[in-house]
Amino acid sequence: MSFWQLLSTSFVQNAFWAVTVVALAGGAVGYFVVLRRQAFAAHAVGHIGFAGAAGAVLLGLSPIFGLLVFCLGAGLVIGAAGAELDDRDAVVGVTLTAALGLGVLFISLYRGYANATYSILFGQILGVSSSDLRLVALLSVLVGLAVSVVFRPLLFASVDAQSAAARGLSVRAMSLVFMSLLAVTTAVAVQVVGVLLVFSLLVAPAAAAEVLTSRPLDALIGSMGLALLSGWVGLFLAVGVGGPVSFWITALASLAYLLARLRAGALARRARQPA
Amino acid sequence: MKALEFDDVAVNLGGRTVWHGATFSIESGSIAAVLGSNGAGKSTLLKVVLGLIEPSHGSLRVLGEAPRRGNPRVGYMAQSRRADSLGSITARDYVGLGLDGPRLGWRRQADKSRVVAEALSLTGTTAYADQPLATLSGGQRQRVALAHATVFRPELLLLDEPLAGLDLAAQAEIVDLINLIRTSTGASVLVVAHDLNPLSPIVQGVLWIARRQVRCGTPDEVVNAEVLSDLYGHPIEIFTTAHGRRVIVGLEEELAHPHPHGHQHELDAPGEHHDDEPAHSHHLEEAYDEQTRSTT
Repeated sequence: MSFWQLLSTSFVQNAFWAVTVVALAGGAVGYFVVLRRQAFAAHAVGHIGFAGAAGAVLLGLSPIFGLLVFCLGAGLVIGAAGAELDDRDAVVGVTLTAALGLGVLFISLYRGYANATYSILFGQILGVSSSDLRLVALLSVLVGLAVSVVFRPLLFASVDAQSAAARGLSVRAMSLVFMSLLAVTTAVAVQVVGVLLVFSLLVAPAAAAEVLTSRPLDALIGSMGLALLSGWVGLFLAVGVGGPVSFWITALASLAYLLARLRAGALARRARQPA
Repeated sequence: MKALEFDDVAVNLGGRTVWHGATFSIESGSIAAVLGSNGAGKSTLLKVVLGLIEPSHGSLRVLGEAPRRGNPRVGYMAQSRRADSLGSITARDYVGLGLDGPRLGWRRQADKSRVVAEALSLTGTTAYADQPLATLSGGQRQRVALAHATVFRPELLLLDEPLAGLDLAAQAEIVDLINLIRTSTGASVLVVAHDLNPLSPIVQGVLWIARRQVRCGTPDEVVNAEVLSDLYGHPIEIFTTAHGRRVIVGLEEELAHPHPHGHQHELDAPGEHHDDEPAHSHHLEEAYDEQTRSTT
């Protein structure tokens, strides 16, 4: 089969649409992950999702249901307990460890786990079924809508919690909203890039965009654009050149961040030099 | 109408009485300084006014109404923290959040650009409005924070240590700006500070919190030996310099805290008797120079 024939097959088509919606949702939520300095929470939610996915597989369900339940549960625990605490890291760490332990238990109980485990860890983008795709697309669109509605208050609570609270915003409610969005986004992103590489869509594009611009709306759109570009080009390269899709997406997103840092460094050096 | 009216208000936090019996009022359109040592409950007082902390006793009126969270007539500027995610957005966006940040939804206020530009212009921050806050100096950041706190035209402005961490020149600039905001918007202002000295040209009232009590009055009424000796329960002396500044002696224990910038050169004015004070005594004064500056 030629490269162009491969692109028109249903599994590549499904993968294309899955990458598109997941990259847009991941890029949008990722901006707030980076802005709120909550990369560790994002990391933890992904790994906690692993336990949920393993549990779902054990029960004979689609992994995404387990991912949703565990990611949302973890998100709400972290969001509620850590909203105003300075030891947020400890709350995240303990929740993460407890869930990973459960994941290990589920896997040991499940026979013939190797394939399922592998796809949860590293993504199974080329194996996304049409029904999975519909759910992934629906959830991603919902996340996108929610981000657009809460954009201003979430931004306010993220950059200046004290002032936001004084203006009547509930910082705790915003923290819960954010963690819920992060949880759903993680559950869908795991379909594409897997638990271990979920950062490639949630953190790297947003971190690159934050380096490139200080306008929040520009950074949000830039983050979504970079995630989309990494996702599309990554899928294209995986089909054309070979290799796992998640590897390509991760490599491209990391490259975008590296280039953004190099550009910012060059600009800073130029600014320091006398004209 | 009074900007603030406290009637026998007490506050408990975690089973501890922060202060009690607070009865005072602040005139509308005036500027009052809130003074007292660290942990006396100055920031707590602001949070009570904001409706973030419920008094355990007594009642208060804020601009004639009961305190409530998110009152759009009250503006608040928190103590600045340097290392935070605020640094990654521009001054203009931060001021914009002060205007419509609490609101959900897609719709943007129609005249937002103009109102934000006016706030930037009033605070003299237009020149660096499109830079990320992290690249600004401490004084520039405080100016932007004032624009953020006043962009929605509050009638009462609560400022938590706006002078902390600034050098004397930057302190004087912020003091002038606070006065400019008061005169141009008509807002009443409550300023938490560690030192009355830089604020004295613009304040009409002083709230002094110590030993769980709150004293209120004009600077003359509160910052005098009798009132402070009574408030602290031991003798306190106040020396007035040739320039009319006041140096308070006797608060060494209560006020023993690091001060960002001392006023040593001012204390070396004639008439000072602090040579036999401990080495850190320049941290301890609350000076006052109404005569010198109010005439200019």
